[in-house]
Formats: sequence, C-alpha cells, structure tokens
Amino acid sequence: MTATSHIRQKKTTFRLLAPGVVWMILFLIAPIMMIVYVSFWTQTTFAINSSLTLDSWRNFFASEAYVGALWTTIRLWLIVLTLTFVIGYPAALYVGLMVKSKTISTVLLVLCVIPFWTSFLIRVLAWRPMLGKEGAINIILLKAGIIHTPIEVLLFSELSVIIGMTQIYVVFMVGPIAFMLGRIDHNIIEAARDLGAGFGRIFWKIIFPLSLPGVVVGAIFVSVMVLGEFATSGALSGRKVNLLGNIIVTQVGSLKWAMASVVGVILTILLGIVVAGFLRIVDLKREI
Amino acid sequence: MTQSDPIFRLEGVTRRYGDLTALDGIDFVAEDNAYIALLGPSGSGKTSLLRVIAGFETPDAGRIWFQGRDITDLPAHERGIGFVFQNFALFPHLTVFENVAFGLRNGAQTLSKAELTDRVRTSIDMVGLAGLEDRNPEQISGGQKQRVALARSLVMQPKLVLLDEPLGALDANLRERMQIELRAIRERLDVTFLHVTGSETEALAMGDKVAVLDAGRIIQYDTPDTIYDGPVVSDVAKFLNRFNLFDGAFKQGVFSGPFGALPVSNARKNNSDTYAIRYDRTQVFDADDTNLPGPALPVRFLASEYLGSSIIFLFETEDQKTVEVDHHLSLGEPRHLTVGERYTLSWDPEQAIVFGKETAR
Repeated sequence: MTATSHIRQKKTTFRLLAPGVVWMILFLIAPIMMIVYVSFWTQTTFAINSSLTLDSWRNFFASEAYVGALWTTIRLWLIVLTLTFVIGYPAALYVGLMVKSKTISTVLLVLCVIPFWTSFLIRVLAWRPMLGKEGAINIILLKAGIIHTPIEVLLFSELSVIIGMTQIYVVFMVGPIAFMLGRIDHNIIEAARDLGAGFGRIFWKIIFPLSLPGVVVGAIFVSVMVLGEFATSGALSGRKVNLLGNIIVTQVGSLKWAMASVVGVILTILLGIVVAGFLRIVDLKREI
Repeated sequence: MTQSDPIFRLEGVTRRYGDLTALDGIDFVAEDNAYIALLGPSGSGKTSLLRVIAGFETPDAGRIWFQGRDITDLPAHERGIGFVFQNFALFPHLTVFENVAFGLRNGAQTLSKAELTDRVRTSIDMVGLAGLEDRNPEQISGGQKQRVALARSLVMQPKLVLLDEPLGALDANLRERMQIELRAIRERLDVTFLHVTGSETEALAMGDKVAVLDAGRIIQYDTPDTIYDGPVVSDVAKFLNRFNLFDGAFKQGVFSGPFGALPVSNARKNNSDTYAIRYDRTQVFDADDTNLPGPALPVRFLASEYLGSSIIFLFETEDQKTVEVDHHLSLGEPRHLTVGERYTLSWDPEQAIVFGKETAR
C-alpha cells in the first residue's frame, strides 16, 4: 500500500511540475541556449551564417566602446543601487516600522505605487520637461534667484539617467524592506530597550539585521532591472550614455545578431553573478 | 534593607486610550525582595500597568517611584527594570548566548570580555540552560525560550522584574514546574518579581502578596490566604473563582436571597448586595432533609468533575444559576448523586461572607 501511494505521489508531483518545466524549457532555457549558440556564428555585413567563430567575442573585447559600455553599466548600476537604498531604507523604515496603524502603512505603500498607473515610457519621458534647460527645476531655481544661468547638466547627461532610474526603481527597494520591517515583533524592540539599548544600538543590532532579507530582495529587483535597462538611458542621456542594453538594441536594429548575442550572454552572466552574490548574504529560504 | 522597604511606588497612576481608562488613579506600594502576583481579568489593565512601570508607555497622570527615585519621565532603557514578555520576544537572529548577552553588550555599562562571558554563563546556568548557548531561538522549546527570556533579564541584575503572563504560553505540566522554579530563582537573587496573571490559582500559589486589579484599580492587596479567606469586595470573590455568589437584597441586617431570608451579623461595604460561600464549604443534603446546618437552597444536580484530590459537583438553582460544591476526598467518599434529581444545599452561615450596600450596624 505504501508503495502504491508512493508511486501515486510521484505521478502527482510529475503532473504538477510538467507544465512549468515545459514552459521554462521552451521560453527560457531554449532561447538562452540559442543566444549562446548565435554568439558564435559568423557575421558578415549583410548576412549571418552558422559556421562557428570567436570573431564577435574578440570584437567585443577589442572595442573600447563595448567594454566602456560594460563599465558604464556596472558604474550606473552601483550608483543607482546605492541611491535607491539610501533613499528607500528610511522611507521603508517609516512605512514599515514607525507607522503604528497597519491601514496607514498600507495606504502609504499604495501611494508609492501610484506612479505605476502610467506607462514606464511616459514616466521616463516626463523627466524631460522637469530637467531640461527650460524645464521646471531650472525655471524654479532661476525665479528663486538661486542660479542665474540654467543648469545644463541636468538633462541629457549621466546625471539625468541616474535621477530617472533612481526615481523609477526606488519603490522596488522600499516594498520588500517595508515588508520585512513590518514583520518585526514590536515586543522585540521593547525588550531591547528594556535591556538598556538606545535607538542607535537597537537599529544596528536588531532592526537592520532583521530587515536584511528585504534589503537583499530589493537589491536583486533593482539590480536585475537596472542592469538590463536601455529605455531610460536612451530617452534621458541624449545617446551620451550607452549601457549594454542600448548596444543590444542598436545591434539588433542593424541586424547584427551575433554581436547582440555576445552582449546578451555577457549581460546574463553579469546578472547571474550579481544575483548569486546577493543570495550569499542571507538565506532567503529561511525567511519564506 | 528590611523586607518592608518599598521597591517601587505608584501615585495616582492613570492611563487612558481615547475614551477608555485603562488605569484609574492607581496607588500602590510594593515591598522589596518579594514575589508579587498581580491578578486581574482580561481588560482590567494589568498589561498597561506593567508597560507603564517598564516605561514603554507614559502615564497620563501620576508619578512612579523606583528605589526612592521618581522615574516617571525616564526612558525605558535607563530604568533598569527587567521585563519578561508573554511571547518571550527573543531576538530571532541571535543565539541563546547572544540573546542573554545583549543587555551587557549594548547597555550603558562596559564589561571586559571575560566578565561578560562569566555573567552570561552564570545566568544561563541558573535557569538550567547550560549546553544550549549556541542554539538559535527557533531550535529550542517553549519552556526553554521562557528560560532564555528570564536569563536575559536577570543577567542585568535588576531589582525589579516585571513578568507579563510568563506562564501563559506554556502547557499545564511545564507551567507547574516553572511556578516552582520562578519562586526558587527569585529567592536566590534578592529581587522583586511582579508577576501579572489572569489565573487565580497561579496568583494564589505564587505570590507572597497578591494584588487584585479590576477596571484599572487595585481593589485588594494582601497575602494570598487573607485574600482567600476575606475578599474585601464581591468582585475579588468573583475573580478568585472559589465562591458561590448569590445576588439578593440586604436590609437591616437581613439578607434575602434564593435560599430565603437570613439574619446577618456582619457585612462588607460593596456596590451590590451579594452573599458569598466558598465551594468547599457548601454541603449537599437530600431534598427533604431537615437537619441542616443553615439555610436551605433547593437545587438540581447537573454533573460532577473528578479532579484527583477532590470532586466538583455542579448544581442548578431554580433561577438557572450554576452552583458548585467542592468535596475534598480526604473528608471521605462523596455521596452518590443522580443527575437531574433534586437536592438541598446548605452551609454554616458563620462561614459565609456578606457584601452589602448598607453595612450592618
């Protein structure tokens, strides 16, 4: 009887798993294998054929523009990640821990999500009239007499890309952190106070360590999205900032499939390293 | 210091939440080096009182004195009062050792590494947890968590420890063992325990003194036997869960209740006319028995409950009120009762306590 129930259980497991496995093979594993394969194809100006070569890989690492794009991507990612954390953590601390009423903290989280009611592209493009030479910020600063000539570096620069990305992605940092902070038992914080710890000690020894899984999840969200970005840099940098994503877009646009695949593979590896690195910080399985 | 020096004193402590008054002008003096049980039904304000003493909440009015110092405006982390939470509130990301060491590492005092380790180990040994220092809170049982919570407070060497229903989350078996251990640990340490509980048996068994809290006021504070033998108002008798209480009318030295009219020589001031007789002093007689020690209360037998050392008989009066009789088996075999049959309950009127709006004489 145990043997038959064991077999039945195995069958059930298989049936439940099958759709997901088929889906993942068709739409994740196979395309990635394809990209890796295509990155070794031979590219001529107007055509591509499947004879294998390392040319595209050599071209990537020989080109200052491409390698530069890799470093720009990493640099922007680190800056945006730091900013979303520095801006997002205090906000999450307020929403998740300081606000006593669960209703108000839910309302505040919903408020954070309101920008998502408009499309991503519109949110990006909306920064142009804000940051432009004759944009809202410059007008206000001029009228207030703080500056006398418009600040030009605000738009079509690396700065505008950083501002745009930080604003768009900061909520992905706030959400998971606020969630983890919201789960902290207030008695624990009171117990720490009762044992003589002041606010600073309680924050560093109790609150921050307990919110760390949220920080890691938020950082993974932000990293995955920023590393694959091309639209924000395309719309706000005036083509001055080229990320790996932008290169893929232009290469695909000019039908250079092999080079696009090389960049795609590099981006995938980079993402894998980043996500694996974050997951080493905390054991997320324990939190779920 | 003698036993009667106060460790803490409350003067008119009041705490309101909106329209609700949780603490209503509490005056209280607690002696040093004592086990004080604070008994109250849920909603009586007992947790609020502990939180105000600990400093997690500020009273709306009144002062709190601790070791001769006014601490009303002192923040919780500077008070040096231990607190043991009902849900233990252990730090989930720290080991047992680090949980106990938390106060020593992060408080105002700085200790050498050796001294810290020494004090933490002593504290862990005292609650009987040696060998579990490196476990995480999720790897130990409820009773062990309770001990960690206690060790974590005691390692700070407080003079006062507040325990918020410390045995509430434990099963019955463990609860009895912890009752004995809590008393033993306290006696070794020259510290006052203020133990909040909703269980009258726990309060009477554990406290050197018992304070009864009702609707934000302390209505009686005395030794357990004094409270047991002489509740000052009918509410105390009700919380003790050891008395049959009858409503009636008390006028000119006569109490009229479901058992007829009785002359009463002595009554305690109360906000209602109530007649109280202890479960174990109520006796069962046949319905037609005329040889009774006192008043006759006609009842119908409902059920019995065997408790090992005694049997509880449950009866119903004519106005559908349940009456209990507690028969100690050391007094001999109980008589056989038939469910649904009529009987008469009686007692020695001298052993009854009468509460009246007008007091006799």
